[in-house]
Amino acid sequence: MSATPQSHPSIEALLDYWLDDSDAAAIEAIDDHLMQCEPCGQALDDLVALGEGVRAAFRSGAVSAMASDASLKRVVGRGVHVREYRLPHNGSVNCTVAPEDELLVAHLETPLLGVERLDAVVTLSFEPDVQHRLQDVPFDPLAGEVLWLPKFDLVRNAPAHTAEVTLLSVDAGGAHELGRYTFHHQPWRGR
Amino acid sequence: MQALGTPVDGDSPEAHAARRIAAAAPGEARDAEAELYRLLAPRARRFGLRHLRDAHAAADLMQQVMTLTIEQLRGGQLREPERVLSFVLGACRLTVMDQRRGERRREDLLQRYADALTIADLHVAPRLDHERVADCLERLPERERSVLVMTFFDDQPSEAVGQQLGCSAGNVRVIRHRGIDKLRRCVDPGRRAA
Repeated sequence: MSATPQSHPSIEALLDYWLDDSDAAAIEAIDDHLMQCEPCGQALDDLVALGEGVRAAFRSGAVSAMASDASLKRVVGRGVHVREYRLPHNGSVNCTVAPEDELLVAHLETPLLGVERLDAVVTLSFEPDVQHRLQDVPFDPLAGEVLWLPKFDLVRNAPAHTAEVTLLSVDAGGAHELGRYTFHHQPWRGR
Repeated sequence: MQALGTPVDGDSPEAHAARRIAAAAPGEARDAEAELYRLLAPRARRFGLRHLRDAHAAADLMQQVMTLTIEQLRGGQLREPERVLSFVLGACRLTVMDQRRGERRREDLLQRYADALTIADLHVAPRLDHERVADCLERLPERERSVLVMTFFDDQPSEAVGQQLGCSAGNVRVIRHRGIDKLRRCVDPGRRAA
């Protein structure tokens, strides 16, 4: 170990270190540095706490996200009770949320090959004049579907309503519709 | 690179405390032992969290390494007390290897030395206001929010997230860094951009 710390790692380097995105030499160097430098250690603690905050916010249903099938499988593997709905291209579904559900996922089947940028527009029947536009959502072009995880706590407490999700392919020529999906939501009424 | 702190002096507080322990009769330098524990236990715990990915295992590692270090200093077996940082880092690495091999050496050490050790309060990063984090997450662009959620739900490296999103690991790292920078500044508005 050197007598004094080498240059302090950047936040990006600390994050790479924490998430296993560093090579063995970089990990060893940061291990060495953190043993000597408490401010950098506390910066790492803050990053880890932020990551825990992201995880907690997601688990509480307070944030929406687009995900992949692989990440969904990891969530299920952790014992999270997931309610899934699969919608064919331009399909619709009757849906609800049960008390034991912890996560809600909609699989929206759509052709994605050749799509440069994907946007989604969400409208809710109880606020018909409002459009929620999600810009540049991440997707795997080979997956043939988009996984939408809406704000779970919002859906759980919502009255009966209809939600419409429109997927848009966006390129230099403008936006054109890829698919339209309709969710007829009812509050849980028991089995 | 962003500077996060100031360099540690050659004659560090850790070395000073280690010398005081080594110079005193065994167990007579309680203040120095508490000081050394306060300084180094969080670092050992941090090392354990990074390499063992388990809070309980990290706490065990911290306790084991600190009891070993102080016992070695008390007994004069650490011949260069000023090199205590190297000793602790080496002990952390060995302990992680031991734990990975499923050895039970830590329990022996704890049984032998735990009662003799003065435990000081540790710095632990404060828990964040989750509503604030959620609010800040919702303000991020969709791509950044989704990458952060996929990253932190399971502490996934960029390559794994990239495979799931059909993009490169480098691209994920760029999005992740941009997102985390915005999130940090939103959660703590007094913070400057990284």
